[in-house]
Amino acid sequence: MNILDIRNLTIEIDGDNGPIRLVDRLSLQIAEGEIHTLVGESGSGKSLLAKAILGFINPRWRVTADRLWWRHYDLLALNPEQRRLVTGRDMAMIFQNPGSYLDPNASIGAQLQECIPNSELKGVYLRRRADRKTRAARLLHRVGIKDHEGVMRAYPFELSDGVAQKVSIAMAIAHNPKLLIADEPTTAMEPQTRSQIYRLLSKLNASHGMSVLMITQDLTAIMPETKRISMVYCGQLMEVGTPQQLLEQPLHPYTEAMRSMSLANHSTPVKTRLPTLGGAIPTMANLPIGCRLGPRCQYARRACIETPRLRKLKQHQFACHYPLIEVKNYD
Amino acid sequence: MIRYSIRRLVLLLITLWLLSLFMFALQQLFPGDTLTNISGIRPSDGVAYELAYQHYAMSQSWLSQYWQFFQHLLRGDWGQSLVTQRAVFNDIMPQLGATLELTVLAMIISLVIGVPLGLYAAVQQRGPLDRVIMAVSLSAYSIPAFWLAQLALLLFAVKLGWAPISGQLNPLFNIPPVSGSVLVDIFLSDSHYRSAAFVDALHHLWLPVVVLSIIPLTLLIRITRNATLDVLQQNYLRAARSRGLSESRIMIKHVMPNAMQVIVRQLGLQFSLLMSNIIIIETIFNWPGIGSSLIKSIYERDYPVMLGGLFTLAALILLVNVAVELYHAWRYPQVRKELYAER
Repeated sequence: MNILDIRNLTIEIDGDNGPIRLVDRLSLQIAEGEIHTLVGESGSGKSLLAKAILGFINPRWRVTADRLWWRHYDLLALNPEQRRLVTGRDMAMIFQNPGSYLDPNASIGAQLQECIPNSELKGVYLRRRADRKTRAARLLHRVGIKDHEGVMRAYPFELSDGVAQKVSIAMAIAHNPKLLIADEPTTAMEPQTRSQIYRLLSKLNASHGMSVLMITQDLTAIMPETKRISMVYCGQLMEVGTPQQLLEQPLHPYTEAMRSMSLANHSTPVKTRLPTLGGAIPTMANLPIGCRLGPRCQYARRACIETPRLRKLKQHQFACHYPLIEVKNYD
Repeated sequence: MIRYSIRRLVLLLITLWLLSLFMFALQQLFPGDTLTNISGIRPSDGVAYELAYQHYAMSQSWLSQYWQFFQHLLRGDWGQSLVTQRAVFNDIMPQLGATLELTVLAMIISLVIGVPLGLYAAVQQRGPLDRVIMAVSLSAYSIPAFWLAQLALLLFAVKLGWAPISGQLNPLFNIPPVSGSVLVDIFLSDSHYRSAAFVDALHHLWLPVVVLSIIPLTLLIRITRNATLDVLQQNYLRAARSRGLSESRIMIKHVMPNAMQVIVRQLGLQFSLLMSNIIIIETIFNWPGIGSSLIKSIYERDYPVMLGGLFTLAALILLVNVAVELYHAWRYPQVRKELYAER
């Protein structure tokens, strides 16, 4: 069952020549306990989508959607205060540069303890405080920090990026969220820390049934437990499918381009041109009409000035008029 | 932190020493007899002058003259006033008390009113009250202190009679000066009229304190507003919001401490501005503090008093600056990181 159901989410801002669609009719479904990965270049609206789910909305954005449901709540129908209560209780987010999401003037211990909801604690005042502390220490152990005393006493500037990210994961899971949104959590980190954090997230996913929405730029650096991948380009959904489907038989030219770029390595013949997608991601002010990949797509034809509908082939969805292999029985 | 504190304190000592060097140079440059400028003893005083001539090593090189001067300075023997013939150091200490009383009270008022107003203006950014607060504070900031003080005197003391025109306390109350600060002195005295004297002292005090607090108050409002607006845009605040913390908890636990970091730093820097204002206010309200005595000594060419006042005020500003810096580094740990390495 889908716990998060988004249909045709659109985010617009006002530009000089009318509204600009930063996110164009994006749909996303996440099932309970699923790890879903959102892949796209920077500027493709991935983070905007995450913020729209959480309700971190800039007053200048216009967010509309046919459906934005979280379990049985219609998030668009709630007022901001109710919405913050729901999302604060059920969701959590971790960020690309964890340092800037920690209060520089409060110790880690204080910030972590603040995240533990009162309803989870036992006893009255003094017992409660002691309980809060042991829970915070246990959280740090869970994310793989052994020296909980030292880290709790430390201030954010004293931590390395890897430790800060672990701390922010600890803060995110303090209230056992049902959905964790991870916005490029490992981009600035060395591979070792990255695999540690991936392992941590998949452990949480397995033990608590926590769904994860992982946002990343690299199609090949996804978590091994990923159930489905959504490819996003310029705010439009290109293709959705299992990692196997997307990496072995992509239907969308964009996925194919990303895949071949990511797979180029030392076995690529000497002095061959490395596979790239020609051109650059269009600026916000000059978004092409129709399929936004059009100007960069080698298969683009006249029909591409119409935005393609998202079509479905069993569990594999794609939005392209000219898919890479002949597809007959889609709906 | 210990190393940093030691470094700050050493810097303070060095600056104070440089200040003494500067004072010594000034004495040589003032018109008239150098020894008289230092000690306040005139050549016509006969034996006393001869003695002072030897004490200050006036016949020897300027190096030993400076050494003698420095020793006198440290001992608290700052010569005597040319006008009243009284020891400068003993006169200055109660004046310092009177000045500090005004400063501290004005600071407290501006903090208690300014910080909440600034916070409120930031939260209501671009709202009608924010605009009113900012407009009023900007216009109050642009009024020169001497003009404002005289207007206030005319209105509240002369026209309305809500406050006496000048002074610290009605001379009817016989309160022996100990610290120079009226309120402290009244508290220390065993007079029968303590409570009456206290009320009278407050009556004298409120107008200069209010006028003095206007400038730091307006500054504080603006600093607090800007600092808070800056903090409100930080990622960690949005993250705290997304965690579902209550708005009041976010304000108290996350916005205030981070805004205060900027405010504390700015307060230290603005202290010298407050000091130059206090000289004017004290003169206008005839408050027996260092500022008014400094102005008087300049009119009377009373060089020993002038130098003593200068040294005390400069030392006070330096001390406050160092104290604020130390507090800042102690309270806000991430400042310490920047002390040893750039961000």
